[in-house]
This record gives sequence, C-alpha cells and structure tokens, in this order.
Amino acid sequence: MFTCKQVSNALSKEDYEKMPPVRRFFLRLHVKLCVFCGKYNRQVMDSQDMCRCYKKHEITNEETFVHYRPQMEPLKKDQLKELIASQSK
Amino acid sequence: MPDKPEPKVPVTPPEQWVDQYGDYLYGFAMSRLRNPDAANDCVQDTFLAGIKALERFDGSRDIKFWLRGIMRNKIVDQIRKSIKENKVDIEAEDEALLESFWFKYSGIATTNPDPWQFNPRKSYDNGEFWVVFEKCIAQGKDPAREAFVLRVLEDQTTEEVCKAMDITPNYLWVLLHRAREQLKILLESSWTGKDVK
Repeated sequence: MFTCKQVSNALSKEDYEKMPPVRRFFLRLHVKLCVFCGKYNRQVMDSQDMCRCYKKHEITNEETFVHYRPQMEPLKKDQLKELIASQSK
Repeated sequence: MPDKPEPKVPVTPPEQWVDQYGDYLYGFAMSRLRNPDAANDCVQDTFLAGIKALERFDGSRDIKFWLRGIMRNKIVDQIRKSIKENKVDIEAEDEALLESFWFKYSGIATTNPDPWQFNPRKSYDNGEFWVVFEKCIAQGKDPAREAFVLRVLEDQTTEEVCKAMDITPNYLWVLLHRAREQLKILLESSWTGKDVK
C-alpha cells in the first residue's frame, strides 16, 4: 500500500493512466480511501484526465479550434515563403 | 543501400507548407506560447527543421502531423528561452506552502480543496468546452502556466522541466498545483452556466 507522500510523488511524476495496472490499482485505492490526501489527489487525477482528453480532442477534432485560434499574418507568411524557397533550392 | 520505401501519404513540397500548414501550426504554437513573435519563430524553425529532415520522413502519416511533432520540440525550446530571460523566483506564498506540515508530510497543498462547481466530465464531448479550456490555460499566470505547458501538455519529464526552469521537483509540484488551481477557477467562471441542462 502507498503512503500519501508516495501517491503525491507518483502523481507528480507521471499520468496515473500510464502507470502499470497493479500500481494504478493501489494508487486509486489509496486515493479513494484516504481521508488526508484523497480529496486533493482525486482532483489531481481529474486534472490529468482532463488534460489527456484535451490533447486527444486537439488531435482528433482539430476543426474545433480552427475558427478560434489566431492565424499567421499575411506579411509573415510571405517572408516565410521566401525563406523556404531559398532553403529548399 | 536499400531504396527508400514509397511514402503511404502524398508528400507536400516545402514551397506549399506555409499555405497549407502555416495557420494550423501558428495556432498550435499560440495555444502554448501566447506570444505572436515566439509563435512565428516557432513556425519558422519548424519548417526549416522539416526541410532538413524531409529525407527521413517515412510518409506513414500526414506531413502536417509530422511537422507538428517537430514543432513540439520548438515550443519547448521557446519556453526554455523565455524562462532564461525571466528567471523563476519563488514567491513567499509558495515558499510557505513548501515549508508547510501537510506538504512535507504528504506532498499535498491542502486536505480539503474546494470541490468543482460543475462536473467537467459531462462536458468532455462538447468541443466548445475545449476551446474555453484552451483560453483558460492561456490566461494562467507564469511561471505556473509555463510549468504546466511543459510538464502536462508537452509531456516533458519532471527532470527536464526542473532543468529548464532551474527549480526543484518540489517547487515544480507547487507550480503545477498553482496552475491547476488557476485553471479550475478560470474554468468555473467561464464555463459554469453554459452546461446547465
């Protein structure tokens, strides 16, 4: 069984979903039962879930962001095109 | 030497990269860097590195995603550069947290964090939520935001982030705690109410 400090250390170093199954099981068990670190580390795990979903959404649903994200200025694009043309000759 | 296998996807010539992928990569860089000059540099460095490495492109995936892979490294480089220019100092509040009993004993900032005002999981299928999420990350304060981008969004290891930011692993944990706190507050104020059904 983990101690609170070990759970926090583990969560600070890696996404709990990427942990080996047995380690993940005991970590989740600790977080579920612990009256000291349970609430806090549950939120850390929720945050990891959220960021994982965001990164997945970013790849699979890129059209979501197309209209919101800023675009390159035309002048910068022209300068870059010239640079690329000179580099790829 | 064996011949290079035919790429499975068509390879866009570099002369067309700016028109085809410029906006996409710039938007991606802005979502991490929020600085137009740094984002422009990042796109430029990505394309130049892409031209140099084009021979090694195996064509197994769209070149856009290959370029984005290169860009991830450039984003990390840009953040490192920004951190070098603005050295990270520990704030008094963070120092107190690092010295607190709960942090030393269990590695947590508090035993009783405020609960979420809404259930974010219910919004994961809603594209608009992720746009708001991205805006909230961009509104975060540095250096917590930079630590969050490097560690969480760009999957750098704790050691790599600590080296780049010249901080201890404990302080990185505090910065990530601050970033999560900021994100929660911003999401609650930006999203709560939109999702009420």
